[in-house]
Amino acid sequence: MTRVVVVTSGKGGVGKTTTSAAFASGLALRGFKTAVIDFDVGLRNLDLVMGCERRVVYDLVNVVSGDAKLNQALIKDRQCENLFILPASQTRDKDALTEEGIEQIIKDLGEMGFDYVVCDSPAGIERGAVLALIFADEAIITTNPEVSSVRDSDRILGILQSKSRRAAESKEPIKEHLLITRYSPKRAEEGEMLSYTDVQELLRVPLLGVIPESESVLHASNQGTPAIHLKGTDVGEAYLDVVARFLGEERPMRFVNYDKPGLMKRLFGGK
Amino acid sequence: MTSTSPTRRPIEFRNISIGTTVAMLGETRPDLLADALHKMLGGRPDFFAGEATILDFSNLTARPERVDWAGLLSLFRRFQLQPIGARALPAEFIETARRAGIALLDDVGEIGREAPPPERPVRAAPPPPPPQPATPAATTMFIERPVRSGQQIYAQGGDLVLLAGMSSGSEVIADGSIHCYGPLRGRALAGAQGNERVRILATNFGPEIVAIAGTYRTFENGIPQVIAGKAACVLMTEADRGNSLTIEPLQLD
Repeated sequence: MTRVVVVTSGKGGVGKTTTSAAFASGLALRGFKTAVIDFDVGLRNLDLVMGCERRVVYDLVNVVSGDAKLNQALIKDRQCENLFILPASQTRDKDALTEEGIEQIIKDLGEMGFDYVVCDSPAGIERGAVLALIFADEAIITTNPEVSSVRDSDRILGILQSKSRRAAESKEPIKEHLLITRYSPKRAEEGEMLSYTDVQELLRVPLLGVIPESESVLHASNQGTPAIHLKGTDVGEAYLDVVARFLGEERPMRFVNYDKPGLMKRLFGGK
Repeated sequence: MTSTSPTRRPIEFRNISIGTTVAMLGETRPDLLADALHKMLGGRPDFFAGEATILDFSNLTARPERVDWAGLLSLFRRFQLQPIGARALPAEFIETARRAGIALLDDVGEIGREAPPPERPVRAAPPPPPPQPATPAATTMFIERPVRSGQQIYAQGGDLVLLAGMSSGSEVIADGSIHCYGPLRGRALAGAQGNERVRILATNFGPEIVAIAGTYRTFENGIPQVIAGKAACVLMTEADRGNSLTIEPLQLD
């Protein structure tokens, strides 16, 4: 049974596309046949972050309108064997997408044997974001540890409960996961930002993981490599933990503690 | 197959009793009513959700010269109420009411089509004027999941129990009381139909606005320390009536 996972947030710029790319790659690395779909019609980024922008021939809108078949549009990822990308259109706008069209694509992906379909949602609560979540079985709500992101995440949680197919058909509700991104333990400790426990308390959704703020993310997207491939970096490790927890494994929460550097270190430099 | 079974008839008439909202009018001028409604509903034109409403004229402060039915109907519809009939209507307006498509409901045994008595206010006293709308047996609505920002819950005709709190930016409304287990953030409006003897109870008090029967209180200067984030109860005491609300800490154990 194909599981559809939507990566959404409400707020823009919090790390949805970075997460979609890393998370989908992580699942593929574990051996699951995974598709990742960019729902941000007109402002596509997933192809850049995945490093396949020069191989886009057909896109999501082409498939929905019937101009192309699904297997023509799906791009096979070079780094992960089981991973396929369905990019968004850059020239069309979101009105070209229809609910029936998306439903058919998800059905077809199921028939093609995909284990997971990761939907990279655009920001906002309008049509594009709703289409991304409408067929979801699980949701990763990406949140930055600051108040406006938390409020927008809360809003999108309400929309997940009301506008999804599972809600409309009174099925079991979408399984919600909280992912805190761009976390800085130092700033949380100093009270500049919310701590991850504050965010969890405000949103009351099980915590899937905490991704620390890191320059590595910028390097990764410049290279066209999902952040999870950056071996040994905090971000790479954090995303590996996230995938593990998603699959039911226990992992301690890393990169959340701020250890104030000792006197020597503060005197003689070092971060 | 010729049908004799009742289910095959094209139309059937039944008699049911429904709980309906009753609007007790002290005034018939649409402009004055519009002001009052606007104040009462805190500027929310979508407070009601298209409910059927009976216009009750037994509380009129003065006998009007004429009733602007078109104005009244459009006013109520603007506030998402659907007038379906009139009660205790002075007899001189029966004809115009009929022409405006308003049904005359005589269930309280008032004027009807008999010769109208000139002293309207006296007549209003004997039949029991029910300030509470005729509702079916009050049921309690339970919400098990957190109420999220942007969501609005209305517990019609009874109490509302939130088992997982509510977020800021959300709104809960109840005709009865509101009981919140979990953080109470956002807007909580109890006694929505005018019942002043209701309360708002919370284990973790932190709302943006609370109201009982249209009297509201905001917390622009912050929530008092003694109740902020703690168990508290909002009520309208005799001293408060119509003017203010009392908020007191709640002892949990």
